[in-house]
Amino acid sequence: MGNAFFVVWRESLEAFLIAGILYAWLQGNDSSGKGKQALFAGLAAGVGLALLLGWALLTVQDELTGNALEAFQTATLLVAAGLITQMVLWMRKHGRQMKARLHADLAAAAEKSGFLGVAVVAALAVAREGAETVIFLYGMAQSGEVGALIGGALAGLAGAAATAWLAAKSLARLNIGLLLRLSSILLLVLASALFVAAIDRLIGAGWLTPMLDPIWDTSLLIDDTTKAGKLLADFSGYRARPALTTLLAWAAYWIVVFVAWRRSGHA
Amino acid sequence: MKHALLSVVFGLFLASTATADEMPTFKLLMKGGRILPETLEVPANTRFRLEVKNEGPGAAEFESLELKKELVLAPGVTRSTVFAPMKPGAYKFFDDFHPETGQGRIVAK
Repeated sequence: MGNAFFVVWRESLEAFLIAGILYAWLQGNDSSGKGKQALFAGLAAGVGLALLLGWALLTVQDELTGNALEAFQTATLLVAAGLITQMVLWMRKHGRQMKARLHADLAAAAEKSGFLGVAVVAALAVAREGAETVIFLYGMAQSGEVGALIGGALAGLAGAAATAWLAAKSLARLNIGLLLRLSSILLLVLASALFVAAIDRLIGAGWLTPMLDPIWDTSLLIDDTTKAGKLLADFSGYRARPALTTLLAWAAYWIVVFVAWRRSGHA
Repeated sequence: MKHALLSVVFGLFLASTATADEMPTFKLLMKGGRILPETLEVPANTRFRLEVKNEGPGAAEFESLELKKELVLAPGVTRSTVFAPMKPGAYKFFDDFHPETGQGRIVAK
């Protein structure tokens, strides 16, 4: 039961965190309510997608379809990482536009594309880890662990929601500049973790050469196969034994983000 | 000597299960949060296929950050994945849904 709580909490935390941060940001930056509508529509679509993907993972057993699913999951990782990054940069620009009181219709146009981004990011966040949660819960239901299912799993979901709510609430307390900065950093770190996961998957599938693997071993310092270490790996992209390719990709991500961040500030 | 005998037996086992592309296949069983066997010996520098079966109860997730693999398995499901040639050494993997009991390693020799 404790295990069910932890697994569900961890698997759903990412989605709740992204939703919570977006909600906090929209609360401060968008008074029309359309952004929140987009957010909730995206979350709902994500639940549908998670069920669909979970069902696919349940029924697929042959290697060929398995590989196709693997490719699809890698693609969702890459798209999610890219979209979150782009959205953070959009949020930075958007915040400045509001400050500069740009022409109303220009802001509206920017809003429309931005809100679509919000919806897609929310949907992907839920769908990705949601599919695994679906399979985990399905397994529990099938093995008759109804008590643990209701107790542990629901508590895990609630726990993740509470964690994200707390994060969003504390973010919303801050002044708008700090809110923007902190939520941006959180989202970028998450996106970098998704990007690292995608690169690792590409290497694991044999589509990318690892070059030097591993380039170092810090598992004595922080072991990424323990509960806490895995959590750190999932949310920050930490690897105890990274491949050179993964390290370079991670570095490239932050360089690109840093340059784009500076540029969006000067625009 | 014992080792040589073991590898002959193992080789025969492989020969009987080898697929058309002659890739060795190894089997791993996940059962109630446990992994069988916990140490899996594979030849180093050789591409091989790992067939993971989850006997349940409950779902399992074969995962290795070192080996960059992740397979989610509902109870009763078997999935396989191909590993690139490995350098000799020990590589950890775990059941991400049961991290406390489900720890194992692949030893490439």
